[in-house]
Amino acid sequence: MRKALKQMDKFTKTCVGWMILMVLFAAVGPLLPLPDPREADFESLGASIFSPGHILGTDSNGYDLLSNVVNGARTSLMIAFVSVVIGGTIGSTIGILSAYFRGRLDYFINTLFNIILSIPNLVLSLALVAILATSADPTIPTSPNRRVYVILISLTFVIIPILGRIARGATLTWINREFVLAARSMGMKDRHIILRHIVPNVLPAIYSVGFLAIGVVIVAEGSLSLLGVGVVDGVSWGAMIARVAGEFTFTPQSMYVPVTVLALTVIASNQIGDYLRSRLDLREGKI
Amino acid sequence: MLKRRLGDVTRRIGQAILVIVGSTFLLSLLLRLLPVGLEEIYAGGFDESSRLARLKELRLDKDPITFYLLWLRDFVSGDFGPLVSPGGGVQPVSERVAIALPVSLQLIAYTQLVSLIVAIPLGIFTAYRSGRRSDRVLSYGLFTAASIPNFVFGLLMAVFFGVTLAILPPLGYVSPSVDPVEHVRSMILPVAALAIPLIATYTRLLRTDVIATLREDYVTMAVSKGLSNKRILFSHVLRPSSVTLFTSFALNMGALIGGTLVIEQVFTIPGLGSEIGSAIFARQFFALQSYVAIIAVGFIFFNTLADILVGFIDPRTRERRNA
Repeated sequence: MRKALKQMDKFTKTCVGWMILMVLFAAVGPLLPLPDPREADFESLGASIFSPGHILGTDSNGYDLLSNVVNGARTSLMIAFVSVVIGGTIGSTIGILSAYFRGRLDYFINTLFNIILSIPNLVLSLALVAILATSADPTIPTSPNRRVYVILISLTFVIIPILGRIARGATLTWINREFVLAARSMGMKDRHIILRHIVPNVLPAIYSVGFLAIGVVIVAEGSLSLLGVGVVDGVSWGAMIARVAGEFTFTPQSMYVPVTVLALTVIASNQIGDYLRSRLDLREGKI
Repeated sequence: MLKRRLGDVTRRIGQAILVIVGSTFLLSLLLRLLPVGLEEIYAGGFDESSRLARLKELRLDKDPITFYLLWLRDFVSGDFGPLVSPGGGVQPVSERVAIALPVSLQLIAYTQLVSLIVAIPLGIFTAYRSGRRSDRVLSYGLFTAASIPNFVFGLLMAVFFGVTLAILPPLGYVSPSVDPVEHVRSMILPVAALAIPLIATYTRLLRTDVIATLREDYVTMAVSKGLSNKRILFSHVLRPSSVTLFTSFALNMGALIGGTLVIEQVFTIPGLGSEIGSAIFARQFFALQSYVAIIAVGFIFFNTLADILVGFIDPRTRERRNA
């Protein structure tokens, strides 16, 4: 058992390390001495891994893959973090308040969460992106910047009920505990009870599901790109995958790079979420 | 007892209908969020009189609630709205659904079947060998596999088996009535891509439950009676351990409808996912509304079914819930 735990730790450490590396890429990507991600090198189209000048090779357009991975981290992780943080904040605020005050409003909010969650998250974000990104003139394609905003809004909307329901469920288990009743009977204000007693207890559950949600959003960004409504002409992991997906019969090796980076990042965020959850369960068990 | 259970079932179905109405209404409202406006898209370059006729035909002259109620009436009777061509022609969406939906359902059915066939023995095996080396290796591998998105497997396998080794078609779909052998060959890669993460999920769930069941008194009883391990595992342990697996199975029916979208796109399979893709490109928002509604209804249907049936598989949850 101890051995397993030790191994687990090493795996989690690797995952945290990978996440930090990706966040660093996202933060300082443009400062690194790499070719422009959107600059085609016509001398080496579809170069393989470890070719001179292109460590991870190039795709069939001559775009440098390493540069696209590093700069794509910015878009992909930005979309993931922003939508999870904003959606999570809105969702858990609604969830906590709704569970704390109960009543008809709580019933309404719970039903609303169930309604939104009844549409598979990828399908809902696809419909939202498709509708919000429609331009007035079909001949002018929507600009990559507007696409990023539309994807952000859609995925934030998708995250709200996921984290909202978690927060609501967690709050319900805490509001009847003795210390909350004690605080209430001493005449503590609702606002203080929520901030002092509910939020700190609910937060760990939200963190752990939040990390899982980051994985969900990264996958969603890739899926949306493959479905043709992602950051089509931009620099993101999804866009890289979508570009090669159409022509992988010519340069199969350029598929491995973005797909591996995306998969490793999703594994890392899931593992971190899972680790947080198991830590959480352990503490619960001790009480 | 029976009456109470029936009441439970009716209440659950009532909830499901409420959620279906809510989600389809939400989708109907979404159309009004379009930054351009449906009138402009579908009746843009028309003169005044034909424009009004067109709006009337598409019910865009109605308020959102009437629009939704009329849509709901059509949807329930199997009319999924029109595909509107820019010139003015109209094709019913139901014709497209009749062709595309069976293809998607085929993909889902194969995937679920393959996943269960692999996951049940694997789950029992890892639980039986729990803590040993073979269990640890498998469990870590499966955890990793469960977090990798299915399109990653799809693309990697298409490249490896379809292009590098060239032993299976990397894309395309062949109907079973045209050529059964080619049909199976064309489905292997997409089904495998969808099944790998599912197998991982199912195995992990079954493993946890089997480990819990193995600690029950009646298993000790069966062991002391001298029953063979195989007999105990498959006839005494599997059924009580399969509740979570079964719930997840039903939930994944819905999740798979979403998952097949991307896999259909990657392998160019003409299912509902490809229809949704082309509806978005051709700006067929009425069709999009119906496609997404079909998916939502399927998802809710299977979730509700799972909830009701779980009580029948394991009477203990039923008693607990009623208590």
